[in-house]
Amino acid sequence: MGSNEQAVDVTVGVLALQGAFNEHVQLLRQAAQILGKKDIAERKWTFKEVRNEAELNSCDALIIPGGESTAISLVAQRSNLLEPLRDFVKVLRKPTWGTCAGLILLAESANRTKKGGQELIGGLDVRVNRNHFGRQIESFEANLDLPFLQEADGKAFDTSQLPFRAIFIRAPVVEKLLPNVAGVQEGEAKVEDTVIAPSRVMDESVSKKIELAQVEIMATLPGRTAALKNTDTIVDPEAGDIIAVRQANVFGTSFHPELTGDPRIHVWWLEQVVKAVDERIR
Amino acid sequence: MATELPTHTTNGERNGRTGEANFTVKTGLARMLKGGVIMDVVNAEQARIAEEAGAVAVMALERVPADIRAQGGVARMSDPKMIKEIMAAVTIPVMAKARIGHFVECQILEAIGVDYIDESEVLTPADHAHHVEKHSYSVPFVCGCRNLGEALRRISEGAAMIRTKGEAGTGDVVEAVRHMRTVNAEISRASGMSDPELRILAKDIQAPYELLKETAKLGRLPVVNFAAGGVATPADAALMMQLGCDGVFVGSGIFKSGNASKRAKAIVQAVTHYNDPKVLAEVSEDLGEAMVGLNVSSMDAKDKMQGRGW
Repeated sequence: MGSNEQAVDVTVGVLALQGAFNEHVQLLRQAAQILGKKDIAERKWTFKEVRNEAELNSCDALIIPGGESTAISLVAQRSNLLEPLRDFVKVLRKPTWGTCAGLILLAESANRTKKGGQELIGGLDVRVNRNHFGRQIESFEANLDLPFLQEADGKAFDTSQLPFRAIFIRAPVVEKLLPNVAGVQEGEAKVEDTVIAPSRVMDESVSKKIELAQVEIMATLPGRTAALKNTDTIVDPEAGDIIAVRQANVFGTSFHPELTGDPRIHVWWLEQVVKAVDERIR
Repeated sequence: MATELPTHTTNGERNGRTGEANFTVKTGLARMLKGGVIMDVVNAEQARIAEEAGAVAVMALERVPADIRAQGGVARMSDPKMIKEIMAAVTIPVMAKARIGHFVECQILEAIGVDYIDESEVLTPADHAHHVEKHSYSVPFVCGCRNLGEALRRISEGAAMIRTKGEAGTGDVVEAVRHMRTVNAEISRASGMSDPELRILAKDIQAPYELLKETAKLGRLPVVNFAAGGVATPADAALMMQLGCDGVFVGSGIFKSGNASKRAKAIVQAVTHYNDPKVLAEVSEDLGEAMVGLNVSSMDAKDKMQGRGW
């Protein structure tokens, strides 16, 4: 996109039912400032908290923050937001990013949920394992190399030199990549103690422009699960846990960039949002 | 209404120990609980009701404050077996209470693997002068306060989350309001002060100067701050949120009421939609009997729990 093009205003919502939504709003503001200086995405940004359908409908893109996924899911249901959220993510396929609890809600399949399961929004063809690393005393910080960040603005910061300090709090991981199928993840429905999201058909006007394709692994964390005590799964210590994924409009991270004060991922994501918004009106 | 808590906790670098159990991770869980309701439960069955209602965490304890008040005697840490049953029953974080100053109860709770420890005035204090030194634990702590000095002393000892003390087990929100308003007023006063004035204030309220200065600059406590002690209705919960709290603890208010599940769900909705009176009106309807209250203004000073802690 060139800077001489007609720039479109962009509204980004942060789901504010529960959790660390304000932290995301703060980092979005920081990221927008940086983008403004870079002169590649001069937009009038609006960042807003989303608690009802009208607020959601006014958004071009959405962040689902960290919090307790069971609580967010139940409150969404009782606030009549669950179906509008599925429309936003899976029918209209607008850019959506989930961190931690948000990643769980955006997965098509999840295990270790509460008794009786929980409602998922879906959108990412993955199975997540909740509280993968254990309880709070197992929560940790780790330096991550995030290769996709190097692409930001061409002028890259090398995250192998300047790693991203990531915070994992009772964090989930992506346990399995699932094939992209028409309809629900039937194979997953048969797996014991696993819940799946209902299927939604993509809006026709969108399906011409967005191809779902396969899930892309954006980042892994080497060696952590292998070091866990009390784990009954056999792990390849080299393989690493999948902690960031993307599929078409949906991006998910199992860690919390919103707790770091480091806006690099928010900058990168807003650039993806700009691309998607421009693509839509073209 | 609530002033923003900056995304990066500077307090951690100064006060936290390095390594994996650092202050950022401890305060991080508290941030994840924001906008949510933490409910007192005494068994696994109640914990499940709380989880289904949308609680962000449960507080495991042997007796809810209203019963501790009625039955008297020494209130201690709960039986680890009961806490473990609750941990097995739900997937949300489980907190548990230890007596003020009782660091061995804290060691035991950490060994069980609870997600947060509440060093609580609701239990009978175990030390007449000291609170637990909380930095060395990997499990994070929440502590109660009535005013700014008390809050900052607890943070300086390592608390990663603060709550108002209120007056637990009464169903009377007046003390929680008093404590929140007191903290807000003191911060607002501190925010207008010069450094030399802050030094005098730090001495007066017995708070570390650096923490006071940071708080004055932020215009709010430097950690997550919940309401607690007397919240009994959705309106009480929203009141505390509008006063600037980050979330709400409900103790006796739920399981001492007529319809626990319905009231719990209503309070959860009220904390999310605290600024939307229409939603608040809706969820306040037909909740059945609220807990029988105790009027704090007619209580003797010796019957109040809030005076415990130093």
